[in-house]
Amino acid sequence: MRTTPRILSSEKIMKTIKKDKINTVLDFLIKKYQVFGPVQKDDLVVDFGRIQNGAQACLEFSNTNEPAKKLFFPQAETLFSYTGSDAAQVSELKPEKPRIIFGMRPCDAKSLSLLDAVFDGPDYKDPYYIVKRKNTTIFTLACRRPRSNCFCDSLGIGPFSKKDTDVFMADLGDRYVFEPITPGGADILNKIPGLENARPTDAERLKNLRSEAESKVARKVDLDNLPEKLARIFDHPFWDGIHQKCLGCGICTYLCPTCHCFDIVDEQKDDKGRRIRIWDSCSYPTFTLEASGHNPRATGKERMRQRLMHKFRYFVENYGEIACVGCGRCINHCPVGSDLIREIENINNLK
Amino acid sequence: MQEQPENWEPRIIAFLCSWCSYAGADLAGVSRRRYSPNVRIVKVPCSGRVNPFYIVKSLQQGCDGVLVSGCHPGECHYSNGNYYARRRFAILKRLLEYIGLEEGRVHFSWVSASEGDKFAKVVNEVTETVRKLGPATRLVKHSPVDGVVN
Amino acid sequence: MDLQTKLRQEARKLLEEKLVDVVIGYEDEGAPLRTTPCFITDPQDVDRLVWNPFCDHNLARYLTARKDKAAVVAKGCDTRAIVVLINENQIERKNVNILGMPCGGIVDRKKIYNHLKNGDVREAVLKDKVITVKGLEFTADLMVDDFLADCCLSCRHRNPVLCDVQIGENLPPLDVKDEYKKIKQLEESTSEERWEYFRKTLSKCIRCYACREACPLCYCQQCFTDQNFPAWVGKTTDISDTIVFHIMRAFHTTGRCVDCGACERSCPNNVDIRMLTKKIAKDVKELFGDEAGLQLEEKAPLSFYNEDDPQDFIK
Repeated sequence: MRTTPRILSSEKIMKTIKKDKINTVLDFLIKKYQVFGPVQKDDLVVDFGRIQNGAQACLEFSNTNEPAKKLFFPQAETLFSYTGSDAAQVSELKPEKPRIIFGMRPCDAKSLSLLDAVFDGPDYKDPYYIVKRKNTTIFTLACRRPRSNCFCDSLGIGPFSKKDTDVFMADLGDRYVFEPITPGGADILNKIPGLENARPTDAERLKNLRSEAESKVARKVDLDNLPEKLARIFDHPFWDGIHQKCLGCGICTYLCPTCHCFDIVDEQKDDKGRRIRIWDSCSYPTFTLEASGHNPRATGKERMRQRLMHKFRYFVENYGEIACVGCGRCINHCPVGSDLIREIENINNLK
Repeated sequence: MQEQPENWEPRIIAFLCSWCSYAGADLAGVSRRRYSPNVRIVKVPCSGRVNPFYIVKSLQQGCDGVLVSGCHPGECHYSNGNYYARRRFAILKRLLEYIGLEEGRVHFSWVSASEGDKFAKVVNEVTETVRKLGPATRLVKHSPVDGVVN
Repeated sequence: MDLQTKLRQEARKLLEEKLVDVVIGYEDEGAPLRTTPCFITDPQDVDRLVWNPFCDHNLARYLTARKDKAAVVAKGCDTRAIVVLINENQIERKNVNILGMPCGGIVDRKKIYNHLKNGDVREAVLKDKVITVKGLEFTADLMVDDFLADCCLSCRHRNPVLCDVQIGENLPPLDVKDEYKKIKQLEESTSEERWEYFRKTLSKCIRCYACREACPLCYCQQCFTDQNFPAWVGKTTDISDTIVFHIMRAFHTTGRCVDCGACERSCPNNVDIRMLTKKIAKDVKELFGDEAGLQLEEKAPLSFYNEDDPQDFIK
């Protein structure tokens, strides 16, 4: 697992810049880094995209529609390609120009530490993921606009969490403040021209904004005994009803910042081919369909159970943490209004 | 219209029913009719056998044009395969052009076994239309760049 | 008596008299501006059923997988989907009990979010035709009719076309000026513009297949996207693959799509899916004079032919 060196709080010097100058910060970073940030895709959709100039970034948003995982674990990623009928020529994984992800929410930042456990753990190292992760500096933007289905608090994250990031940013209304969290983040921050030292009152202001934001996280869920509870109810009749309305689409898993299951497909045309890793979802019947035609997770019941079990039990058993960050995307976007929090409450209430 | 690369020749795939249009192509050959060599022929039992996916997939794989040809109405070897095909292709052609595929990439014709001349004429017409459009770009699948961020 | 009470009464009767095993309807679980499908088997639970302009799912979608006898709450478009399913032998008429709802249109939540500049709605109360929405920093009174889904604005079948019990009186037909206005506008633009339009909207697709899963008529046991030998369509996010998926899915709905809009409403990224399906419905009507799901025993337009079908596009 990635260990992030953190700098001592005595060395932390908070910086600040006027809001109307934030584009100059981005423009500076764009010269040296590949910068990704929230971009307005249409009236309702903000998503991470490559930013070519500061004006493209949209920093007034609640959260991106799609989570940040796609920047490290893309929906479709070529693992290697080949030409000719001889041995495959596997191109070397070269780190690209260093990347900065600007404006990630703390929940998404936390999700990366969970993905690290999977793709950069003691047993298995995924070079494709690691090369991107090592190459990236994260600027989180504290969340002042938690939405109605956010419950990050219950996962111990909170809208102003400074964990799992390199630079912590917050919107003070007329200015942004920056706080270096890792030495790498501090390095970059020191090079950005035009930043002033934060004002003495800023720390207090941050504290107030933090409690204000936390008060907006209205939903809570009790996860204390969930993993143990789930271990006991695998065969409970509860699962017979829970999946009934589920359509079996991939929204909750694709938009989940921690879901990381994938499929491998080969594509070939003439003498050229490539192997691609693509997202897959345990909600799909084909996810477990075997070549014989047998499907061990034959119905929505098994698939729905798997999704909850993986997040709240198996992941905990494997990596010691719950694979959820409370971003609420699965609830917001479920076409049939399935509500993860209510499902967990129902499980908690089972005898 | 885009600029055409040097020495570019349209690549056209033709799905011909084995009873009429394929025999028509044969007749064009034995009658020594000259026609444009840009078509690659795929023999199918009937125009009704042509899954619309064949057409879309051909375009995705980089064909510059597609021609589907079968028996004249009333002359289908299987009595009505071409009638079904006609309905399907009427919808498909409109749909493809509606989403922005250039008009003139996808063609349909009725060519009987005795119409060698017509076959040559159709192929020449199709080739010239596609040539004017230039190489296909829309719908063509290219290897995506890693990263997916667009 | 309001329609909701009447609906509950009918549902109770069906369950008490054991005429059906389950009633599939809508319930309100408290999430603002939405309802959720529910499956009621106990007559004691019928008061969970609700009927309001947030009942947006097409519940016909749940019928094909069932072996039991089900009653289903169905709007005009939903009953049309049921007709298609019966005609295509996917469900038996005797196994489905249709609780037909005359429908004045359902609310498109996304339009409300848009109107509120993506404001976070924390509470919504519906009274008569006014929705009072509350967020942390705003309160607004919105008229239901201003936020109806696009498919409802051009709906010509608001009343059930087939049902066992109709809940409430027929609504008068909507004065639809031009059902295909948006399609025609797009048709009039250039090929480049149309390509750009679809490239843009479809590039937002994440291939989650919610559109397919929400569609009552996408019932194939194995969808072409899931076939891998041959692999008809690539699974990547390459725009070519995404476009091929959408045009072929739309093509498969030819003469079958009832324009309930379930595909578009289920999309997490606001892809304009109906711009494809509606175009096909328009062409089917123009070319063959057919409209899907209006009567039993009607054939899908691609499953039969007329000798004088139009063929001016054929050389």
